[in-house]
Amino acid sequence: MGLDLDACISQLLQKQLLDESLLKEICEKTKELLMRESNVIHISAPVTVVGDIHGQFYDLIEIFRIGGDSVECSQNIRLVRFPAGDYVDRGLFSVETISLLTCLKLRYPDRVQLVRGNHESRAVTQTYGFYTECVRKYGSTHVWNYFTDMFDFLTLSVVIDNKIFCVHGGLSPSIHSIDQIKILDRFREIPHEGPMADLVWSDPDPDKDEFAISPRGAGYTFGGQVVKKFLEINQMEHILRAHQLCMEGFQVLYDDRLSTVWSAPNYCYRCGNMASILEVGVEGQRFFNVFDAAPENDRDGPSQQMSIDRKEKIQYFL
Amino acid sequence: MDPITGLPSSRRSTLSDDAHREGLTTETHDWTLVKAIDLVADQKVVVIDGEKPIEEACDILTRNNISSAPVYDASTKSYSGMFDWADVMTYLLIVLKKKDASQQLEKTDAELSAEFNDLVKLASHCQPVPVKLASDLSKKNPFYSVLPETSLLQVVELFGSGTHRVAVVDANGIIKGILTQSRVVNYFYQNVTKFPPIEQLFPKTLNELDIGKGFVISASSDSFVLDALTMMIKNGLSSIAIVDSEGMLLGNISMTDVKYVLRSYSHVLMWKTCQQFVSTVRSRQGLEDGQDRYPVFDARPTSTLGYTIAKLSATKAHRLWVVDERMRAVGVLSLTDVLLIFARSAGANPKPKRVSSLSLSSPTSQSE
Repeated sequence: MGLDLDACISQLLQKQLLDESLLKEICEKTKELLMRESNVIHISAPVTVVGDIHGQFYDLIEIFRIGGDSVECSQNIRLVRFPAGDYVDRGLFSVETISLLTCLKLRYPDRVQLVRGNHESRAVTQTYGFYTECVRKYGSTHVWNYFTDMFDFLTLSVVIDNKIFCVHGGLSPSIHSIDQIKILDRFREIPHEGPMADLVWSDPDPDKDEFAISPRGAGYTFGGQVVKKFLEINQMEHILRAHQLCMEGFQVLYDDRLSTVWSAPNYCYRCGNMASILEVGVEGQRFFNVFDAAPENDRDGPSQQMSIDRKEKIQYFL
Repeated sequence: MDPITGLPSSRRSTLSDDAHREGLTTETHDWTLVKAIDLVADQKVVVIDGEKPIEEACDILTRNNISSAPVYDASTKSYSGMFDWADVMTYLLIVLKKKDASQQLEKTDAELSAEFNDLVKLASHCQPVPVKLASDLSKKNPFYSVLPETSLLQVVELFGSGTHRVAVVDANGIIKGILTQSRVVNYFYQNVTKFPPIEQLFPKTLNELDIGKGFVISASSDSFVLDALTMMIKNGLSSIAIVDSEGMLLGNISMTDVKYVLRSYSHVLMWKTCQQFVSTVRSRQGLEDGQDRYPVFDARPTSTLGYTIAKLSATKAHRLWVVDERMRAVGVLSLTDVLLIFARSAGANPKPKRVSSLSLSSPTSQSE
């Protein structure tokens, strides 16, 4: 195996793009790995759960810093972390972000779990930025194809210690038992409707009890009664999800039966929100580690990108 | 809620032939007898002074989160029309079409913004254009009014023929409210269990009702926005589908999207391709709502009427694109279509002003 993952990871940590041919190989190998995973992965605490990142590369690095271990010292990694989807779109460095996460998954397959979010889809990435970024940085659609093909293999959910159910979006009216998730065919583009779409698109509604159609145009909103019933039927204690911006970085609902974790601080470089990662302990304790945007964003953010674009334009016309 | 039919899940079928007799149960009513004023009772009406410049009128629409408002002409002491985003779009196209797209792309956002403001002023001989002159440029939104006691049946007939909104005006000429297609469809959705004839329609599919089919006007994702908008104005459309090279639906551009162009430093959007325009608008919307939307609001020919109404209500959209299993648009289902079905169920037969899924042929090519 000629692939030097540690070298790739070092390179990506310097925010250097990997070669297109290297990415092709990495995505192929990752697909083979992901194919063997179930739609519901069972793991044990201690675990760190990361929410939406949306291409905010420097904030991902910040997450590794505050999460308590550095990626280079592999022996020190005790925590299993899994970003709960939405790695790409909107931020400036979606390519670097997803490249790094994919390499980490390949390098530490049992310590990193990647769960599919609604943005890990062809339709959504064509609208919200990842497609454009791939074409701009690599000159063709190949890299976008490699990644979106790999997204088709990402798992849909994780269960921690048989007590905490983690999914990107939320619940589905078609899914009462977690066993029903296990038999879905997930190896495809996210459909517009149906249980797989619901799991990545749904949102809790604190003012409701039941399901209603979502204003997002996919998935549902669901309420307290639905959550209670789901936890009872599946003998679980808590639902953990991401998918919605939280100004404080996280939100807890329904008498601590459901939490939202959001990990992109100062979302889109303008929302001014905090972010968090959730640390689950072996006794089932849940701690939201809240953090602010990384200072590097000021040195290498939207205004720097704009002047880079302008310089490129001028060079072309000279 | 039943995810297939859109009906409340506790509901059992209450099909009764006696729907028109009040008092049969304590809960059913005859929707045709509901009065227009009942549906706008809680509304605060926003009226635009006809002398105001267009820029201020746009600001009023945005601030109040509405897509149109009546325009009052003090000189004639009457309402001269409805001002909406389609009028703004038409006005912009008149003003901007003389420019060369490739030259425009070389300018900075600040340059385009300044130029835009100058253009708007120049186009009206250095005077800002008063809204009362612009308020019916698009010819799509003439001022219709009804009395407060007008029956919902009459309003639904009007809506079923393609009118999007009516003003409810009392005997003294005071506007009591603006009744829109959206408000009426939402009212039916919230109260469906009170109206058995409507409830019966909910489980029927679009195929069964023979609606939401026909050719769809579309523009290719890499064609220019100005060309797509020009085509919309020419064909009297409020929205156009954006498709990729295989005809798959990627998104849509609507007249209401123009409000994102008018924000400062966003005028450059007018010179982009359709796909770039759609991306920018959706990204902005997602930021404002705190949650991203699905790129396309769609339904299948096998979706039920109830499901599509629930979706139109939840998303506040005015139409759903009807797609096949390969995401190609095979029709459009608009609020007009829904209200046409309701009107027909009560025995009325409104004549459409235009067919809602237009039968023009191919997508635009880039050279247009």
